[in-house]
Amino acid sequence: MASQSLHHHFASLRLRTRQPLKPSPRPLTVAASKNPPLPGRKLRAAVIGGGPAGSSAAESLASGGVETFLFERSPSSAKPCGGAIPLCMLDEFDLPHSLVDRHVTEMRVISPSNITVDFGKTLRPHEFIAMLRREVLDSFLRSRAESRGAELITGLVTDLELPRSSSSPYVVHYTSGGSKRSLAVDVVVGADGANSRVAKSIGAGEYSYAIAFQERIRLPDEKMKYYENLAEMYLGDDVSPDFYAWVFPKCDHVAVGTGTVRSKREIKAYQRGIRERARPKIEGGQVIKVEAHPIPEHPRPVRVRGRVALVGDAAGYVTKCSGEGIYFAAKSGRMCGEGIVKASEGGARMVGEEDLRREYLRQWDDRYVSTYRVLDLLEKVFYGSNWGREAMVELCGGEYVQRVSLESYMYKRLVEGDRWEGVKMAASTVATLVRCKIMSGEMGRLKAIA
Amino acid sequence: MSISMALFSPPAPNLRTLLSSPRSLPKPRLTLKPSPSLMPKAPAFFAVSASSDNGAGAVPSSAVAVEEQGEPKVAVEPAKEPERENGSVASAPEEGAVAVAKFNDSRWVGGTWNLKQFQKDGSTDWDAVIDAEVRRRKWLEDNPESSSNDDPVVFDTSIIPWWAWMKRFHLPEAELLNGRAAMIGFFMAYLVDSLTGVGLVDQMGNFFCKTLLFIAVVGVLVIRKNEDVETIKKLIEETTFYDKQWQATWQDDNSGSSKNG
Repeated sequence: MASQSLHHHFASLRLRTRQPLKPSPRPLTVAASKNPPLPGRKLRAAVIGGGPAGSSAAESLASGGVETFLFERSPSSAKPCGGAIPLCMLDEFDLPHSLVDRHVTEMRVISPSNITVDFGKTLRPHEFIAMLRREVLDSFLRSRAESRGAELITGLVTDLELPRSSSSPYVVHYTSGGSKRSLAVDVVVGADGANSRVAKSIGAGEYSYAIAFQERIRLPDEKMKYYENLAEMYLGDDVSPDFYAWVFPKCDHVAVGTGTVRSKREIKAYQRGIRERARPKIEGGQVIKVEAHPIPEHPRPVRVRGRVALVGDAAGYVTKCSGEGIYFAAKSGRMCGEGIVKASEGGARMVGEEDLRREYLRQWDDRYVSTYRVLDLLEKVFYGSNWGREAMVELCGGEYVQRVSLESYMYKRLVEGDRWEGVKMAASTVATLVRCKIMSGEMGRLKAIA
Repeated sequence: MSISMALFSPPAPNLRTLLSSPRSLPKPRLTLKPSPSLMPKAPAFFAVSASSDNGAGAVPSSAVAVEEQGEPKVAVEPAKEPERENGSVASAPEEGAVAVAKFNDSRWVGGTWNLKQFQKDGSTDWDAVIDAEVRRRKWLEDNPESSSNDDPVVFDTSIIPWWAWMKRFHLPEAELLNGRAAMIGFFMAYLVDSLTGVGLVDQMGNFFCKTLLFIAVVGVLVIRKNEDVETIKKLIEETTFYDKQWQATWQDDNSGSSKNG
């Protein structure tokens, strides 16, 4: 298991005197390197936030030859999180299997009227949903970034000073070890999460967010056995008006929680709802921790400004419908880091806003916007009302639906589907929605009579 | 077809609130749904105190023995209420004697409807099955039950044949719409004939008339109530909203790139 190796580097005051840099170029149409080469030093990058996004960015930057500083305010804290990552992340990020606490092979989806469907019939033997502890994953990624050459700074970033001219550096003000320090860098990657300070400094704008609330409950052994490889997802107005509630197994306990966007004040009531819905299965358990966290609902209006780029939760890259954020955070960090390395030709040249947009933002949007859009559509249709949820559970019983959804979740690519099956799936989707909508209309009529 | 159009013109406000506000920060007026645990439960067969669908305030109801089938139901114990309304976070305090109301129906066997009990004149009465399932869902919406592994629910609405749905729901509405269309069509044909002298057969040959006819048919299908116009406008705005949020960063200062270096 990855050990938490923290090196406390107390950086001395690093405000350097102005380097005689050439002014950044006007945008040219010719693509050949137009950025001025940096005289006698490498490009300096500060990555604010040491979670999956920040660590991946720092790793890519440092491996590419950029002088990287990774800021993390509390390396040992466990972030509140579902803790599920797709299979492709284990491969793409070379994560050792020893990090994984549980291999979830069965997912149970439960409708408002308790109709239950088992997801996972189509999983092959080597496929699973990996559940792990965030503190374990985060510290592994951080120490790997460090081993690639990034300098880890334990401290809280208090302010990001914007440069006065195009050739002056960004100054990161932070407190570390009780004293105030600052660091001048050329490029900043904001990976500091949902309440990003970097985003505030560059005026990136706000996003609406959901509140995720969960309680970690230690169950008696025989009840824990039920959740050994099984995660549950509950739907219904009693547990969430616009999202789902869950029971996810963790290393030696379960996380029972729910989330909502529009009824944040009633989150406690929804938590009671999920406790009630899962009661026979979690009765007798002991609550060991209560935690809550905001989850962004959509990207910030501005994700790149000047020589600052936002990645991960700070940018708002959480998908709808499943609320998945870890993979996209790490991937965006990596893509941003690689983009900076490419634009600066291994740290030799300065980079500008255009480079960040072209190498990072454009690549990201081109690759993933359709994924986000599809999930947004699914959430709108299936999570908004009880009849939509009933329809979803009914559809999830179908084998083709299960295969397509699980494969696209695990491998993050649209699977080559059987066209005829696709047509059948579309038809049965419409049919199910129609049936459930009719039933809901009848339910409303019953109410009106009495 | 008209039923599927019903999807896009829902009368229920919850779809509309979904459409209009999934992304705004919660304002009190938008939280129309009182959380289930705070709703008073009247001791009625079908707890008609408002559930989330209508968002109305709690409607007191007398015990209404509504339907002709007369299924036995477990009466809701008033003692159930404090269990929900207390803020106690510990797992539910259970006194052995208090019966927690569960959905109960003699025809609901083993987590699904026993079709043999729905026989009418030798064949299954699908309308009754639909009614029973609707009641069950409504009951559970108002009184959410914990799901247990011992008696899982396995009912699937697809066992009800498609023609049962058509006969009961689609045909009456189709009749209505066709009737309206026929009345309007007759009147318009008469009007055009009296104004222009062009008879019905010649009208159908004219391209302009055919276009108008097409618009009329589509209009009747899509817009069946006055509220539908608003709903469609909101739907269009909603479907593009998420996209706009993604594109927002590209709208950003094109000229400002030199400002911050």
